[in-house]
This record gives sequence, C-alpha cells and structure tokens, in this order.
Amino acid sequence: MEYRFLPKKEIACFVTGLLKDFKVYGPVKLVPAGMPSNASIGDTKKGKDGFPMYGEINSPKDLNLLHTPTHLSPKQYLFPPKETLLKFKNGEKPGIESVVEAHDQVLFGVHPCDIHAIRLLDRVFAYGPKDVNYLKRREKTFIIGIDCIPDKHCFCKSVNTMTADYGFDLFLHDIGSGFVIEIGTAKGKDILYKHAKTKKATNKEIKKIVEFKNKKAEMFVTTLNADASTLPLIYSGRYYSPVWEKIGKICYGCGSCNNVCPTCYCFDVRDEIKANLSEGERYRVWDACTLEDFAKVAGGHSFRKTRAERLRHRFNRKFQYQVDKFGGLFCVGCGRCIRTCLVNINIAEVTNELIEESNRKP
Amino acid sequence: MNSLKSQIVNPDISSSYTSRLARIDRVSRLTEKERLFRIAVEDRKPLGHSPGQFIMLSIPGYGEAPISISSPPDRKSVFEICVRAVGNLTNALHNLTKGDRLWIRGPYGKAFPIENLKGKDLLFIAGGIGLVPMRSLIKAVLNERPAYGKINLLYGVKSPDEILFKDELSEWQQTGNMNLSITIDKPHPEWRGNTGVVTTLLPTLKIDETKTVAIVVGPPVMYKYVIMSLGDKRIAGHDIYLSLERRMKCGLGKCGHCQINSIYVCQEGPVFRLSDIRYLREAI
Repeated sequence: MEYRFLPKKEIACFVTGLLKDFKVYGPVKLVPAGMPSNASIGDTKKGKDGFPMYGEINSPKDLNLLHTPTHLSPKQYLFPPKETLLKFKNGEKPGIESVVEAHDQVLFGVHPCDIHAIRLLDRVFAYGPKDVNYLKRREKTFIIGIDCIPDKHCFCKSVNTMTADYGFDLFLHDIGSGFVIEIGTAKGKDILYKHAKTKKATNKEIKKIVEFKNKKAEMFVTTLNADASTLPLIYSGRYYSPVWEKIGKICYGCGSCNNVCPTCYCFDVRDEIKANLSEGERYRVWDACTLEDFAKVAGGHSFRKTRAERLRHRFNRKFQYQVDKFGGLFCVGCGRCIRTCLVNINIAEVTNELIEESNRKP
Repeated sequence: MNSLKSQIVNPDISSSYTSRLARIDRVSRLTEKERLFRIAVEDRKPLGHSPGQFIMLSIPGYGEAPISISSPPDRKSVFEICVRAVGNLTNALHNLTKGDRLWIRGPYGKAFPIENLKGKDLLFIAGGIGLVPMRSLIKAVLNERPAYGKINLLYGVKSPDEILFKDELSEWQQTGNMNLSITIDKPHPEWRGNTGVVTTLLPTLKIDETKTVAIVVGPPVMYKYVIMSLGDKRIAGHDIYLSLERRMKCGLGKCGHCQINSIYVCQEGPVFRLSDIRYLREAI
C-alpha cells in the first residue's frame, strides 16, 4: 500500500486538474431554488447550511468535503434515478436503438459506507445476465474516498463498514495539515501523480490514520447489539416478530427509505412516447418495495398487501435475502433511512429489538 | 465541452433491454377476455424456448410485460401466446391484428424439466389461464406420447364460457389418450359436468403415487389447496412442479419486483419444484 501526502492548500489544484479530464461529483451543500441561502431542510440546524448531498462540481470551491453524512448517496451517478434504455421509432420502418450512456467521471469524497455500497451494487449488476448500462458507467468511474465522522444515526461500525480497505482508486485521510492519500489502484496512482503535487507520506503521518480510526470507533451513538455475522439468522428467526406489525402501523409507505438507501437498486421500466406518436423511449426509474403496487400483478393480486409485509421485505433484503444471494450485509449502516423517515422508523432500533427478542426466545 | 465529458451513446454496446421485432401472424378469439396470437419473429431465427418459459413482450409506448409462451418448442421462428386483456399493454395487444408489429426479448426463466417427466404418470392441474403455459408442456408431451405413462388433466375454470382451447382439449383426450376432467366454480344452467373448485376432482382420482408427477399452474390462491390435496394423495414434494406468477419488469434478475425472499422468480423460476420452495416464506 502506497501513501502520499497532499497539503490542504493543494486540494483546489487537484480538483482543477481532475475537472480537465472528468466530470466530477462530490459532496455539496445544496440550497434549493427559492430558499434563502441561510435556510435549511432536513435535520441540519436551521440557518446554518444547505442540504448535504452529492452534486456536480464545476470548480474547487463547490466541493464541500463534509465529514458528516450526506442525505443522498452517490449511487445516483452509477444508477441514475431515471435512465433511458432504448429509443424506439414507430411507423413504416419501426426500430429500437439501444442506449448505453457513460462518461468518464470522478466521485470525489465518498465515505467508506458508500464505497461498500458501490461494491455491493457491482456484484448485483454483474450477477447472472449482466446489466450493461450500469457496468459500462461503473467502468468509467473513478472513486476517491474520504474518511468521515459519524453522526448520531451512523452505525457503520456495527456492520463492518467503518473503514474501506478496497473499492476505491484513492482514499483521503484528513490529518489536519493535509490529506494522507492511500492509493488503491494503478489508475488511481496515475491520476494522482498527473494532477496533484504530493510527496511521500511520513510514517508519522501514516500513523495518524490509525489514531483517527481508533478515535472514530469510540464515537458511535448508534450500535447494533449483536455481531454482524449473526444478523441474517436473527432476521430469519424473527420473521413473525410483532415488530413488523408495530412499524407497519406507523409507516406512510412513501418509499423515502428506498430512495436514500445506497444499496437499494429496484427499478420500474416504463415507456414514454412523444406527442407525434412516432418516437419515444423506454427508461427505468427507481422503484421502492415499500410502495403499495410494487408486488402487484395484472388482475390486482398483491403478494405483499400490507405495509408491515413490505417493510419486513425491505429490512430482510438488507439483513438476510440479499446476503444469501450476494454475500455481505446489504445494510452499510449509513443511517440515511433513519434520517429521512417521516415517522422515525429506525432500522437500528428495529434490528436491536429483533436481537433482543431472539435472545429472549431461543 | 471537453470530448470526454460528452454523452456516449454507443450503438456497439447492446443494452440488455434490446428487443427483436416480431409480427402478428394470426389472432384467434378464445373467450371474451382471451385471445391466442401466433407471432412470427422478423429475423426468422427460432425463439428456442422450452415449456414453462416466458418472453418480455412490448408495444412501444404501452410498455413491456412478461408473457408465457403457449406453444411447444420447435425449430420455427413462430410461436404462440395466449393473453387475457387485463392491463395497459394487454388491452393494446388485443387491439392489434394480423400483420401488426410488436417487440420481444427472451425467452427467460427456468422451464419444466421435461427429461425428469419421462416414464412417469403425469397429473396436470390447471386453474383458469394457468392452462396457457401448461399447454406448451402438454403439447410437447403429447408429441412424444409413448414416452409417458398415464396422463390426467384436471382443469378448473370459473364458468363454461371461460374454458380455453376447447377443440384442443377434446383432441388431446381422443388422440392423445389423456383423461380430462373439467370443473366450474359455480353451477351454471348449461353445464352438466363437475362443479366446485379444482381440488374437488382429486379425491376420486385413481393415481399411482409411486410414479406420478404433478404439474400445477393456476392463480396464487389455488396452490395452497392443491398442494394439500396432493399431500392427501401421497405425492411427494419433489414430484410436484409449479409455475409461480409475479410482477416482473426486467426479466434479468435485477428490478426486484418478482423477488420471493432471496430468489428472483424470473431467473430461478417461474417453474419450481415444490420441495425447493416449500419452506420459502411468501412463495405459496
């Protein structure tokens, strides 16, 4: 593993360099149109800042290397909320043209949980029949990770995603005076050497990574009360838990938790036709298993009729079903679904209730 | 704009959603709600399906849906589907006539394991339009009739006017040496046959449980009861095959709609052996 050191004042120059070759996306504080610049939405303190999320970086000053979590994950740049799959023409000479869109891009400032999430999505879209649209975009994506500080809802430590050992091209460790940059891939090294003035990191600087890691491990407010490897079995055993009915009763079925989740990848496929009726496109849009119609077939039969059943399905996808299929927990502990839930359904609390029940009822 | 940043629409890389152009070759009205379409693929390459598989069929502008293939496998580029008009796409399909175009991709999914059925007595149990995918298998079996033992078909429908493939049913009975019992859900003035749900046909049926394989296709509600009745007949779970219906959007094991616990029906199904899914919650 090679480590380089980049002084803080050089970061702008690095970003400017990247902007020459790539589209760059990174954490920004977005203030929605029409809102005064000191207004805020979400759970950030009013008047303090905007909405922490990932956005396009056009100049180094757009980049806001947040150490706290963003409301949305960078998954949207690999798996867009709406994506054209085909363009079609009707009429005398009907045709279908396949659309695969991808451009060279950098995801700058990705937190360890999201790096883990991207690795899971890579597995999903390469499993069985390959999803060319995702994989092509992924191939052209360069990932620069950054270390972060947990807020009260983060529980990555409990699901083993507090640090990322691979899954990035470069990884920045903030040590105060600058960044110790961990080189993950050969491509990462090339790009770093090309665009940034770094020097070899000293042992003292590298040591600070471990110091920070140890400090970070003590910061968590939210933790799961069982070892991550036991969670699939606990979920399987608590399929008939009263917890599902309890949270089903308060859930609005709005699908927000699915939208903010970095490992949710379900989608709907739809057609849109232009007003001239002669051409149109087939596209996919994010879908949510917590929505009422998600598992409803033609004729009206729904395989998960109640909100409790749909929530149970969603939670089990994170802790059991996808684990069986792809290996690795599909909850990366980012806490986004907790922050976004309108009725405060808390995946960590629910999991802890299930853990407690299964301790009680062996 | 830097050239690297521009959008790449690459015609050489095929999206997994690319479809083949096809044309309607013949339409026949089977009942008030169901029509049988014979479809010819324009590139004239065979579909290459096995009984139990499905295609993703689309009419641009109306969307795409999974549709079971109803004809037996053959080397031709022509196949049949039987469709009930229940949604946006299927209603649009019912408005199409001979020569009209549509798009298909597939076939997808696991088929009935026809080799495991050879030498066995077959018990087909169909409910409503469950007969549609089953027809592909029945026809394939009857094409090699001597390879199988006794064949029974139990078919339950709501009312006499919903019976599908009437002519074929009697043909299968006469030339295919197959026992057929039809039952309708409720008494009907013009109906002299059995009434009651399809499971009412089972208790009096004489079968040899040591060599019988059951193939069950019907609406979701039917499976639980049919499986219980087959249990009464001492047919083992590994001798029962089912085809499960779920919502599907991609056919590629990605979109999540057809998921039952950790399996994707479009990939690991739609045909399942009961013993493989019996303990899968939410399957039946």
